[in-house]
Amino acid sequence: MTMNRRKAITISAAASAGFVLPARSWSIGLDSQVGITVLDRGNSRELRPRCVEQLMWEVSKRTSINVREEPIYLKLTDESLFRNPFLVWFGRGEITPLTEMERRRLSLFLRGGGTLLISDVSPLGDEAFDTSIRTEMTRLWADRDWMRLSNDHTVYRTFYLLEKPKGRVARSDHLEGVIFDDRSPVIYERNDLFGAFGRERFGAWSMPVFPGGERQREMAFRTGLNLVMYATCLNYKRDQVHVTEILRRRNWRVQPSKTIR
Amino acid sequence: MLRDLFDSEGQFNSAHWVVLSDWSGWTWTAIGLLVCILIGFSWRNTEHLNRIRRLTLLGCRTATLIVVTFIFIQPGIRLEHRNVVRNHVAVLIDQSRSMLLPGASSGSRMDQLKTYLKTNLPVFESWKSDHQIDYFTFGRYVKAVDDLNSIQALGEMTDLAAALEDVQSRYTTGDLAAVIILSDGTDTTKLKDISEPGLMPNRVQALIKALNAPIHTVFIGPDKVAPDLAIQDVSYDEFAFVRNAVTIDAKVSVFGYEQLRIPVTMTRNGKELGRQVLDVVPGKQNYEFSFEFVPDETGKSSFTFEVGAAPGEQIVINNRREFVIRVIRDKIRVLQVVGRPSWDERFLRKLLKKNPNVDLISFFILRTSSSLQVARRDEMSLIPFPTQELFEQQLGSFDLIIFQNFTYRGYQMRRYLPLIKRYVQNGGGFVMIGGDISFSNGGYAGTPIAEFLPVTLRGIQPGGGDKGDYRPSLTSAGQFHPITNLKLSREENQAAWQDLPKLSGLNQVAGLAPDSTVLLEHPTARIGAKKSPVVAVRNFGKGRVLSVLTDSTWRWDFESFGRGADNRNYYKFWGNAIRWLIRDPDLKTIRVTTGKDRYAVGDQVSVTVRLQADDYRPAIDQAVRVEVAQRAREPSVKDSMIVRQGKTDDRGLYTFSVPIKKDGVWTVIARAGDDQELVDRDVFVVTSEPIELATTKTNPQLLKAVSSLGQGRFLNGDESLTGADLKEPLLLQVNRRKDVPIWSSAWLLLLAIILPSTEWFLRRRWGLL
Repeated sequence: MTMNRRKAITISAAASAGFVLPARSWSIGLDSQVGITVLDRGNSRELRPRCVEQLMWEVSKRTSINVREEPIYLKLTDESLFRNPFLVWFGRGEITPLTEMERRRLSLFLRGGGTLLISDVSPLGDEAFDTSIRTEMTRLWADRDWMRLSNDHTVYRTFYLLEKPKGRVARSDHLEGVIFDDRSPVIYERNDLFGAFGRERFGAWSMPVFPGGERQREMAFRTGLNLVMYATCLNYKRDQVHVTEILRRRNWRVQPSKTIR
Repeated sequence: MLRDLFDSEGQFNSAHWVVLSDWSGWTWTAIGLLVCILIGFSWRNTEHLNRIRRLTLLGCRTATLIVVTFIFIQPGIRLEHRNVVRNHVAVLIDQSRSMLLPGASSGSRMDQLKTYLKTNLPVFESWKSDHQIDYFTFGRYVKAVDDLNSIQALGEMTDLAAALEDVQSRYTTGDLAAVIILSDGTDTTKLKDISEPGLMPNRVQALIKALNAPIHTVFIGPDKVAPDLAIQDVSYDEFAFVRNAVTIDAKVSVFGYEQLRIPVTMTRNGKELGRQVLDVVPGKQNYEFSFEFVPDETGKSSFTFEVGAAPGEQIVINNRREFVIRVIRDKIRVLQVVGRPSWDERFLRKLLKKNPNVDLISFFILRTSSSLQVARRDEMSLIPFPTQELFEQQLGSFDLIIFQNFTYRGYQMRRYLPLIKRYVQNGGGFVMIGGDISFSNGGYAGTPIAEFLPVTLRGIQPGGGDKGDYRPSLTSAGQFHPITNLKLSREENQAAWQDLPKLSGLNQVAGLAPDSTVLLEHPTARIGAKKSPVVAVRNFGKGRVLSVLTDSTWRWDFESFGRGADNRNYYKFWGNAIRWLIRDPDLKTIRVTTGKDRYAVGDQVSVTVRLQADDYRPAIDQAVRVEVAQRAREPSVKDSMIVRQGKTDDRGLYTFSVPIKKDGVWTVIARAGDDQELVDRDVFVVTSEPIELATTKTNPQLLKAVSSLGQGRFLNGDESLTGADLKEPLLLQVNRRKDVPIWSSAWLLLLAIILPSTEWFLRRRWGLL
């Protein structure tokens, strides 16, 4: 790029600290808004209340994305599933296996361009959800390997530069998922990501983070924001124009993706 | 000779010496020893005599022994009547056009060649008893010839290796007595630079060996070549990519000039592309030139590389080379600028990324002016928006720019907006896609961008826009326009649009630009009396513009997929749009093609005009006028033009063929429409293949190399073929045989008595007995 420093600072300041765009832009239709859909299975409405709103509020404050803060709860069989490309599945305890119809719909959703984030909100030591969801994903993606995503994966650099995923707990230092059509339609996180976002009515955090510290909560927000950005921009940050700059800023050792099963 | 002496009745056709005795080898050895001993005795017992007497006695003794041995050997003449199969002498005559150039004497090389054949006719005649003489011409092809006087130097190339290969295929192994090549040695193919046997390709060496016969070569040509400037080679790619630098390299050879300055030019479609100087210096024969240009539009262009004529130059046809380069798109370079991440952006990016013909450069604005910054800059993956690089330095390299829910404000971009307008005017494609910060709400009203959009804008109105779901309807123009043409038939297309998922949201605008076309419109929302446009297009200058006044076309992909329906219509819509925006030649309503880029003089050139109506249906029974024209090279010469007029058939086609008898660049221009406003052109080159006349130089070294490898002789044009080595013909059978003994002659017996008697007599007289 042939740009002097003064020019770069001026323009990046405009892009990042701009002078024109209002904080909340008006939409011309619901499709202008990016929102999260929560998979409605059993007790999912009660698992992490007011957490999605908090994350999306942060997304709206920190990025240019025009967000819908409130989540939509949908079953896999709901018709409007395909109007909401970003689906989150909160899970605790052993899951009821998907029906054949649900499995077919979910497969269609993911192969058609949707993204599913599976969040394990189980207490530490409870592996029932983990075991059952892996079994379910094996059935769903019989033709794909379940992978440990490399820390070079685009999801770690869609907005913030991250080394590992954070959440309310520190159960895992990596994300998992499948790779299909040069993207990761399923991403599995085990650190109860959304648990770090919930607030009480008067503003206090609903749940403490473990091992603890505000830095951990902030890093959880960054992880969540990167995931939202990944759902909307996919591998945009892997474009060559970004690669050089990103590589310059990060200096950790890249661990390649590994097959888990 | 022998046959004449011993076969006076002519009953035999072969005579040769034979030994009629059947003594064994031991006997011959014993006889040899005995002869030596007897001569040795004679030498010893005459050593006291004077020199004359001694030599006389020795002579008698030796002669006696020779005569006796001769009788003992029993020599004879064997007369035979044989059946002989004549083998072939293949005479290859170079009939390429280079043989028209001056030869050793005042005439052409072909004249010299014919004279040589006439002079050597007795030699060929003398070979005929045992060999059949087959004459062939060669150039591009090998052809048997009966009448040597009828040979004309019209061959377009010289391929000696192919000629030898052809000869090999015509004869079985051992059937050749010899191959004789008469040529100036100017091979125009793979052997053109061969100057010694070691440089000959292995394949050709094997071929020469496989002929299994001596190859004699006769050099036909002058001792000193005429002065000449000649284009040896022009190297270029027949296909070039738009906006990519194209290099054309040319080699020029200079013969017979020591100092000279001559202009060298390259023209494109008749306009000078570059000019350089051929500065001839003593001792340098080859000169190289290079021209570079950057094509800015697709299509065919004609090029002429020309070297000025030098003083006294006899041949100027080799000073010009014409050719055609077809400029195509490498990849469609698309710049996608997105104001904020959204589902619409996500699915359009996926579509563009999946298209192998698209080279996508994306820039998304990920933060806004009011975004909180809670991390250090080095903890973020953001990079500056390189406006200057994109919209000033690299703007011309894009085929298509997409502003997707993007406002220019806030990035110091105002100064680039006139450049974008000029980019469109000059042929660029531009798409504006709706959203909450696009069109009017992007603040484009009154800017250069607004001047070329298909819709007119108004001031920013927060919340302005229709938020409901709706299914857009095809306008009458949209029913046939290539962008909205999802299916082949009109009914199927209508049904496909009805089957697409509903859209959501609409950017409201002030109205339509005067010359824009609405393809999809809102079913209920209105601007005045007219329905609000959803998709509209406009031609602006040489460029094309598309407006999509919603940010929800992604539903045509994802929602269609979810319904188990065909989401290909989403791909089809955007694929059509891209093709239309970049002016894909296949979407022109008039197309003229000539099939090939290069024809030979006299070829029939087939011209096809395809005419379509504005709705892209075949335009039937429409008048078409076609001009096939060649601009004259010299101002004093009239331009050549062939005009054909006719009407299109039921497929919208008008075709005809026309013979072209002049070489050079020809342009075909087809016109149609009420005011002849529909125009398309094609270009082709008619060539007389001047490759043979590319140089006046000869190459006797090649002929020497061939004859050396073929174990034959190299002859100059003034040397006779007499004594050239030929392989013996094949013997099939002996019908009759007669042996005539020589030893039984009475004269020989008499000698055998007289010589020893004389020796005895002399010995007695000289007192040796």
